Amino acid sequence: MFSFHNITANNGWAMAAVGASIVFSGLVILSFAISQIHKLLALWDERAQYFGQSKKQGLEEETKGPGAPAYSPPHIPPVDELARIYRPLAKQLKEPFDLIQLFEKTKEMDIPHPHLSIKRLREAGYLLPQQQDLFIWNKQKDN
Amino acid sequence: MFDLLIHFLQNTGYYLADYRHYIMLVVGFSFLYLGTSKNYEPLLLVPIGFGILVGNIPFFKGFGIGIYENNSVLHYLYFGVTTGVYPSIVFLGLGAMTDFSSLLSQPKLMLLGAAAQMGIYFTLLSALFLGFLPREAASIAIIGGADGPTSIFLTAKLAPHLIGPIAIAAYSYMALIPVIQPPIMRLLTSRKERLIKMPPSREVSKKELIIFPVVGVLLCCYLAPTALPLLGLLFLGNFLKECGVVDRLAKTAQSAIIDTATIFLGFTVGCSTQADVFLTPKALGIFFLGAVAFSIATASGVIFAKIMNLFLKEKINPLLGAAGVSAVPGSAREVHLMGLKEDPTNFLLMHGMACNSSGVIGSAICAGILWSFFM
Repeated sequence: MFSFHNITANNGWAMAAVGASIVFSGLVILSFAISQIHKLLALWDERAQYFGQSKKQGLEEETKGPGAPAYSPPHIPPVDELARIYRPLAKQLKEPFDLIQLFEKTKEMDIPHPHLSIKRLREAGYLLPQQQDLFIWNKQKDN
Repeated sequence: MFDLLIHFLQNTGYYLADYRHYIMLVVGFSFLYLGTSKNYEPLLLVPIGFGILVGNIPFFKGFGIGIYENNSVLHYLYFGVTTGVYPSIVFLGLGAMTDFSSLLSQPKLMLLGAAAQMGIYFTLLSALFLGFLPREAASIAIIGGADGPTSIFLTAKLAPHLIGPIAIAAYSYMALIPVIQPPIMRLLTSRKERLIKMPPSREVSKKELIIFPVVGVLLCCYLAPTALPLLGLLFLGNFLKECGVVDRLAKTAQSAIIDTATIFLGFTVGCSTQADVFLTPKALGIFFLGAVAFSIATASGVIFAKIMNLFLKEKINPLLGAAGVSAVPGSAREVHLMGLKEDPTNFLLMHGMACNSSGVIGSAICAGILWSFFM
């Protein structure tokens, strides 16, 4: 009653092999397909952006009068205000720190225009350069 | 008057019951106990357990009372099982409740869902070896997918006389995941492997979530059209949830519809375990093979994860392989708990859910494939 002959007689080996192969290949194909969805969407979005921009540009050129500003700079708060925002972030870092670390902190806090803001803080002397491209917060400026 | 009383007493369940009914009552009480006291899959075990009690009340045959008698109320309710309607409706609700974002963020975990289906084919061979007919063997094998509705669906198509034992075996093993899976996981993995941390999931956009059910239904159902009643509704439910414009339908699918189907599915499956039909040597064989199927499925998922690690730079925690069976969310939870036991900061639940949801898709494809072999 218990016999490998039962398997052979009922085409069991073939059913198992074919069935397992089909389900495996099916899920491999599906996993590959879903791994590509976000890439295809990114491509599609870029394409839409490109066409959208050129259409927008065309429209803007048509509606703008001569001499209208082509670019409006981002609004950056005064440097004192920037120092007030960035001081607690810098305090969280071990001195001397890399500006990239400070930049990461601003990203975490979703603070706008970090590149320009850090540049202004450097120019205003709030961020003092040390060795090997590292910086410290100028505490004298806080007083 | 006395004769009338005697006649009445001879028609009562107390008079007609034999030892088999009492065995089944014990089984029914066990299900209710596990569901209510131990909280093991209560949504399934409670209606099934109560159904077992109802189905094993002896009665005089021929009066249209029992589930196997034409024109009885239970027979009409059972129609949803024998035609595969309830499992399909359950899949609709399941789709509307499932969040595939973890799977979309790490598609390679889908391979673990595929690997765990190997238990199905191993059990197919084992059942044939033990002398079951091919259609019966295929129905028993699908227990390895650890998916109750899929098991019922395929059995209804291939071996309707085995629905009772197969459904009970499938749901029992799903409920016993906390007992069956951990020893296998521990046996097949080292502590170092269990400590592997998975990277955080990528953020998945809404567009991806909307496109996935469309891609899924097309790819899977073109491959195995016989899985359409299950996967078609699973992906429809998911599309309703993700598209965001039919929230009312999605909410109904994930609450009232799936709940109604679960009640009738569980209850009628329980009722179908009438002692004279259920307690047969075949049923014992089915329970034995079901345990084998479930264990092999778990083991093959874990082993495949270890094989994948040989080729991957970023290793995956092999415990996740055990979540490749489609018992949602039980096996993912078990994997998560075992990960936490080794390292309280190792959270594997979302990754486990990715494997789990691919297991659901995989076992439905397997059901379709097995059905198509006998067409």
